[in-house]
Amino acid sequence: MFFNRRDSSHGGSPHPVVKSSAFKTDEADAPGRAVPTAAARVDAAAVAHETLINWLGFADIQRRTMEILRSELDRTSVLVENSTLDLSARFRDLAESARNQASQVEHIIIMARSVEIDGDKVPIDHLVTSMQDAISGMIDNIVTLSMKAMNMVYLLDDVQKDVEDLEKCISDIDSINRQTNFLALNATIEASRAGEAGRTFAVVAQEVRHLSRTTSALADRMRAKVMAVVKGVRDGHDILRMIANTDMSPQMLAKERVDKTMESLVVQTNHFQDVLEGAAASSGEMSAHISRMVTGMQFQDLTKQRLEHVGDSMSIISAGLEELVTRTRAVLPTDSPAPMPQEWLDHLLGRFTLSEMRQRFVRHLLLEGTALDDHGALDATAGLDQGAEGDIELF
Amino acid sequence: MDYSIDAKDHEATVRLSGRLTFNDHAKLRALIREMSQNHARRQVLDLSSLEFVDSAGIGMLLIAREELVGQEKSLVLRQPVGQVKRVLSVAQLGKLISIEE
Repeated sequence: MFFNRRDSSHGGSPHPVVKSSAFKTDEADAPGRAVPTAAARVDAAAVAHETLINWLGFADIQRRTMEILRSELDRTSVLVENSTLDLSARFRDLAESARNQASQVEHIIIMARSVEIDGDKVPIDHLVTSMQDAISGMIDNIVTLSMKAMNMVYLLDDVQKDVEDLEKCISDIDSINRQTNFLALNATIEASRAGEAGRTFAVVAQEVRHLSRTTSALADRMRAKVMAVVKGVRDGHDILRMIANTDMSPQMLAKERVDKTMESLVVQTNHFQDVLEGAAASSGEMSAHISRMVTGMQFQDLTKQRLEHVGDSMSIISAGLEELVTRTRAVLPTDSPAPMPQEWLDHLLGRFTLSEMRQRFVRHLLLEGTALDDHGALDATAGLDQGAEGDIELF
Repeated sequence: MDYSIDAKDHEATVRLSGRLTFNDHAKLRALIREMSQNHARRQVLDLSSLEFVDSAGIGMLLIAREELVGQEKSLVLRQPVGQVKRVLSVAQLGKLISIEE
């Protein structure tokens, strides 16, 4: 390091190094207020001269330190300003994202309330009601059909009884017909016994037998037709019994399950809606908080102004110091080089834990007033190549 | 399904038990006839012992109601339980026949 030299014998330095005891009340001032002798006056002048020389070195370093600190203040102000602007921009982005999120969630809420059927938006609760109505209508139909089917079953039960009666009637006709036929035969026999007298009667008896046979044929045809009707009615009855015997109660009870499912659906939809509304509200609050944070970032303006005031004050102090140095130098012999207050400088440097700041400080102290300074060696970026600005070194 | 009738002046109570299905249609028709013939204005079907009813049974209950209403009598279903209660409720039979719990 540059300023670790404590040896005043080290050649080449324009500033001879002095001990800090030089700033204290020296033993040279100690011996009372006796009338000074000529030798004492010479000593006193030498002490005053040395004190002023030391003061000049100290003032010079302090003035330059003040300038360096001023530039560090400016640098810090710029850093705070840039960082704050960057943070504000990021916070604004964040607020925008939160607003977008809130509007997306609101969109989902609207979507969740209804479903689209054939291009129409149907609210979920309407959908549930209409489906329940449809199922109720279906059950009404089942009940009505069951009742009509049973009515039909009872009707066909009756028809079957009637048809049985009809069969019996046909049998009765057969029975009557047989008797008629038998009577006609007897009549014919009796007519033939009567001879010529019974000839006409025989013709009548023959006609009756003929009629009886015709009736018998008719009864046969009727029986065949009735049998066909009976078969048709019995088959129809069987089919109807099968239909009426198909139990639809499980399908009716399915409505219970559908109702429960629909209720759950509505409850779940409402729950989703509540949660989503909460999420939308949270996003909105987040956005508002972030906006307030961006407003809070305006502390930077105030900080900047204060730092400028402090910096201006330091410049005025520095200028005053420089003027004092110039006036002091004017009364001193020109060949008196001002010593550097090495111990004070070491103490000061020990406080700079940021190496890039320490490097800037050292460069500034070393180069100020030299040709290098005129060529921009002290520009703001000095020391940056040692590491990213703002990185805190932990030592 | 089995039934027993307790007929009084103003009210006849028919207690049904077992399962009322299509197979009981002849028996139920006989029951309807009995209910039509007694003089009580109010005919109560006690369903507390009926375990099961199918859709044909529901149809037959409606036929009974129709028959009795035609004779200016009223039909009441009393205390349905289990599956019977559920089916009556789903079929909304209470809109047509008064149901006493």
